[in-house]
Amino acid sequence: MSDIAVKVSQPVALRARLNEDWLAVVIGLLVFGSALASIGGTDLLGWAVTTSVYTDIAQALNPFAKAYAWLGGGGALLATYAALLVVLSAGVAALGADVRKFALAFTAVFAIAYASWIFGSYAYVAAVTPAEQQKFGLSWSLKLTNEGGFIVALLSGLVIANFFPRFADWLKEAIRPELYIKIAIVILGATVAVTAAGRLNLASSLLLRGAAAIVEAYLIYWAVIYYIARKWFGFSREWSVPLASGISICGVAAAIATGGAIRARPAVPILVSSLVVVFAVVEVLILPFLAQTFLWQEPLVAGAWIGLAIKTDGAAVAGGGITESLIMAKNAAEGINYQPGWILATTTTVKIFIDIFIGIWAFILGYIWTNHIDKGPDKAKPSEIWQRFPKFILGFLLVFALSLWLAVGSTPQIAKALPAAAGEANVFRVIFFVLTFFSIGVLSDFRKLWQQGFAKLAAVYFVSLFGFVIWVGLLISWLFFSGFKPPLAS
Amino acid sequence: MSQSDLKNEINAAEVEPLLPIEKKLIGWSLGLGIALLAVLIAVNHFVPIKL
Repeated sequence: MSDIAVKVSQPVALRARLNEDWLAVVIGLLVFGSALASIGGTDLLGWAVTTSVYTDIAQALNPFAKAYAWLGGGGALLATYAALLVVLSAGVAALGADVRKFALAFTAVFAIAYASWIFGSYAYVAAVTPAEQQKFGLSWSLKLTNEGGFIVALLSGLVIANFFPRFADWLKEAIRPELYIKIAIVILGATVAVTAAGRLNLASSLLLRGAAAIVEAYLIYWAVIYYIARKWFGFSREWSVPLASGISICGVAAAIATGGAIRARPAVPILVSSLVVVFAVVEVLILPFLAQTFLWQEPLVAGAWIGLAIKTDGAAVAGGGITESLIMAKNAAEGINYQPGWILATTTTVKIFIDIFIGIWAFILGYIWTNHIDKGPDKAKPSEIWQRFPKFILGFLLVFALSLWLAVGSTPQIAKALPAAAGEANVFRVIFFVLTFFSIGVLSDFRKLWQQGFAKLAAVYFVSLFGFVIWVGLLISWLFFSGFKPPLAS
Repeated sequence: MSQSDLKNEINAAEVEPLLPIEKKLIGWSLGLGIALLAVLIAVNHFVPIKL
């Protein structure tokens, strides 16, 4: 959150963040439930637009299901926009937002974000393997995969944030990266379950290793960064707690949760959050490409590393998606074809494990602060654990558990039809990823880093992130995931 | 509170010394974290990833 978010009335922003979690669960379940209907023979989402790698723009867009081919690519795009507009407008109305402003802004956000996604699928940008280049008659390409569209969306947002601030301000009602990514993560539960069902042993092994992420983020990262902020940079406790949480745990949500727990003024964690987003952008632009260059032979190490190093759920999970595409493309060029989904599932598992403990960590800090540091009548209560628990995780777990049961515990017919249903839901997961990337870009005003005063906050972030967090994250990822590869595609 | 107030506050803030409870929090976190990581590394060694 940058200037735009900081200007919001802080108590309203805090309440809205909590409500966004439940809204994400509702919308995510709506998409998942509608996709499941296809198992029973009723295709409710087949009209959703998908984008293929292209050289002729007329061939780029198509409806997901052949049954809706009559819509054409343009019709599918309009239908997808209209459906998202209606559902999200109803959602933000429930949050108390201005629906008219949202609808206008969302129209622009969707148009620019999806145009970025389409551009990212242009063969000169996306084609990776020699076979693909030959198929499209190309002598060269940027080899960014079609998920390079995420980077294009992010860059589009950055241009708007830094060169067209008034337009960015006009868009603000629809710039909701936390909402978009939480919906995407709920939907992602189905894809992760379908992926895991194929190799339950490997999936359970990944879960066990997710515990290492919790230890690393809460007990090691946090303690070291808090010490750096307090001792080396002289920040007060009120600033150091949200700063350490934002850098070490999961960005915006952790900064706000722990800031609230120690009774910091609301403006403090919200300001820290703006830096978290800016640095997450820098990481998303760099780390997936470093992972492709140096970790392409260790795909699961790369997936875990992205989950541990990039803060904020949106940037981390979406960064995992880019990393998966880049690493799979590099391996495909070497003749190795991995099953898709495992790298992203590793990133998501690591991130979800970290997220689950935000409430507990916030309560521990709140208890220490209100009983030993700033003693007063307002003591931390155990009920705050639930209040600060990121509720969208419940949606992810519900979708994951139900999908896993359908995949391994129901009839063979249902198990066979489930991947297609999950794929249909996944179309919306991708669209929400695109919206997230664009929104993060629009919230990232780099000028903030040069502003007097905030440079000191940024310095703590820079020293901690590039001097400690990404390297320790790499070491831990290597210790727990090296030597193990995703299954090969059949 | 405006952003300029916050900027001034960051620059002008007096250093608050680390309290014993903060030192305990940092020390216990790091100690517990390293110990748990060692346990998990051992578990990882004896229960390797199954493909």
